[in-house]
Amino acid sequence: MSEVTEGAVRPLIDGAARRRPIGLLLVAIPVLLMIWLVIWPAMNAIGRTIWRTDANGQLSFDLSSYVFFFSDRYSLDNLAVTLWTTFVCAILLLVICLPIALYLRFSHGRLSAYVQALAIFPMFVPSIILAFAFIRVLGPNGMVDILLNAVDLPKIRTPYLTPWGPVIGLVWDNIPLTVLILLAGLGSVANQSIEAARDVGANALQVFWHIILPRISNSVLVALSFSVLGIFSSFTLPYLLGPASPEMLGPFMQRTLREVQNPVGAMTQAVVAFGFCIVFGLFYVRSVARNQGK
Amino acid sequence: MSVLHIVEVTKTFPGGTNAVDSFSLDVADGELVCLLGPSGSGKSTLLRMVGGFEQPTGGRITIDGEDVTHLPPERRPTGMVFQSHALWTHMNVFKNLAFGLKLRHMPANLIKEKVEAVLELVGLAGYGDRMTTQLSGGQQQRVALARSLVLEPKILLLDEPFASLDQHLRERLREEVRDIQQRLKITTLFVTHGQDEALSMADRIVVMANGKTEQIDRPDVVYRNPQTPFVAGFIGTMNLIEGEVQGGHFVRADFTVPLPIADGPATLAIRPESLDLAASDKPGASVHRVTDYGTHGLVDLDLADGTRLKSMVAHPDLFRAGQGIELLPRAVAAYRNNQQIYRSSP
Repeated sequence: MSEVTEGAVRPLIDGAARRRPIGLLLVAIPVLLMIWLVIWPAMNAIGRTIWRTDANGQLSFDLSSYVFFFSDRYSLDNLAVTLWTTFVCAILLLVICLPIALYLRFSHGRLSAYVQALAIFPMFVPSIILAFAFIRVLGPNGMVDILLNAVDLPKIRTPYLTPWGPVIGLVWDNIPLTVLILLAGLGSVANQSIEAARDVGANALQVFWHIILPRISNSVLVALSFSVLGIFSSFTLPYLLGPASPEMLGPFMQRTLREVQNPVGAMTQAVVAFGFCIVFGLFYVRSVARNQGK
Repeated sequence: MSVLHIVEVTKTFPGGTNAVDSFSLDVADGELVCLLGPSGSGKSTLLRMVGGFEQPTGGRITIDGEDVTHLPPERRPTGMVFQSHALWTHMNVFKNLAFGLKLRHMPANLIKEKVEAVLELVGLAGYGDRMTTQLSGGQQQRVALARSLVLEPKILLLDEPFASLDQHLRERLREEVRDIQQRLKITTLFVTHGQDEALSMADRIVVMANGKTEQIDRPDVVYRNPQTPFVAGFIGTMNLIEGEVQGGHFVRADFTVPLPIADGPATLAIRPESLDLAASDKPGASVHRVTDYGTHGLVDLDLADGTRLKSMVAHPDLFRAGQGIELLPRAVAAYRNNQQIYRSSP
């Protein structure tokens, strides 16, 4: 009896054992890349900003670069504008993408296919092209101004080189990913759940609030985490569309490194940005863990 | 007093598919009517039109005289139990049941009272705190039923509610649902493709095919006196034999039956329990297979041209494969042009 049982079980164990090295090898490549390109530079930057060489050439524990960052008005303004841009973009993305995703989930036909194509389109447009298009349309003497001028109307107050410039560009750039994640979440809401809610008397808003939103809360968290991580550390669009002062952390780091030639200051800004991104990332990890726990 | 009238209702989907074609039905107060038919017969579409989830392209639906044809589901006095239960998994049992009452701004103590009463009714007292994912399939279906009943709808709509359950549970639940329906005297429209369910639960059965009514009758009448060959073949097991009537006799291969109708093609219908057998050396039929079910036996027979028939016998051990058989039908019905034209007394 025991022989038969062992004989039946052993091949499975052996198979699993054979597969294990292949699985580990497959995982090893991205893990090694992450250690090489993310973990090591991060650790290196943290180390180099807190263990610094003093005037006597001695290596010592020194938090002065962080003290400077968190006491410098300009650095704090840049951090504030980065947080403000991230927050406003997150809200706008939710407000814009949720109705689009709801429409795509519950509508069928040619029009919804066109809407989906339009919503996904920005994914295929490089940021630099997007910035150029933005300047040509909404910039000073851009297409909107020309059209307004043609009908004897005053020019618009252009958002170009204001904090709203990066907001518009980043929102447009992040719409596809946000819509796709929300759409995937909405796919798990069964039509019959919604019909059951309508059957007991819920109107469209009540169905959304009481039935749909609780079911896609994880997807909303994931979508926001992804967008926020990208927006907080973005460079191209804030650099091309944003104001010179205050500026978002991405362009601020670049300028500190290249123009001010202060690598420790730039690294300090990078570590601070990394810290904020870890906090945002924890939302994502938490939501994924909660989802898998269900 | 809740009466449902469905008048000449039609549903044509984009592309021209006619799911329901000029369907009419009156459901009396407290009556349970089963819509029975194969997949694609239009029964679920019809139920969804009564619930407000599909808009008819023609006709009228009234409940207690009020025209509800174009009202959205949330404004109809109907309650629907879905095939997949459609429970809200982010809410516990109590919240699932209380949701509709809260939307009606009912006081919290009254909500609690009503929910506990309906949980008691469906045999789930004390289950309010459970998450719906912690319940078995049968318990989930009872919660779905309770969710509809707690709102005291005028018309209860059941869309194949037991389809996802195993046979044993299905039989138990249909008895329970029938008991509850009779206790509450609630007018009910029940969709199923299971004839057992329809025959055991319904006051009347509507047999549907291709969006049209084939027959509306009491279950025993639908079974004993099917009006069309489709109903005859769909309800229960039936031997349907295509043949010719010549000089007052139905003829198919070597099998003949006296049939007092005009000459011409006809379909003969004989229930297995109405087809007696006798051992015989005469040409007629032969036993193909004998199956012993314990309580009775089923004999598969072949006519000379290979037509397969079934006969229900009390003593299957009396028959064996290859044996010559004389067929002795006790009750037959005959159909021509899709209508019953003859029925002998059983």
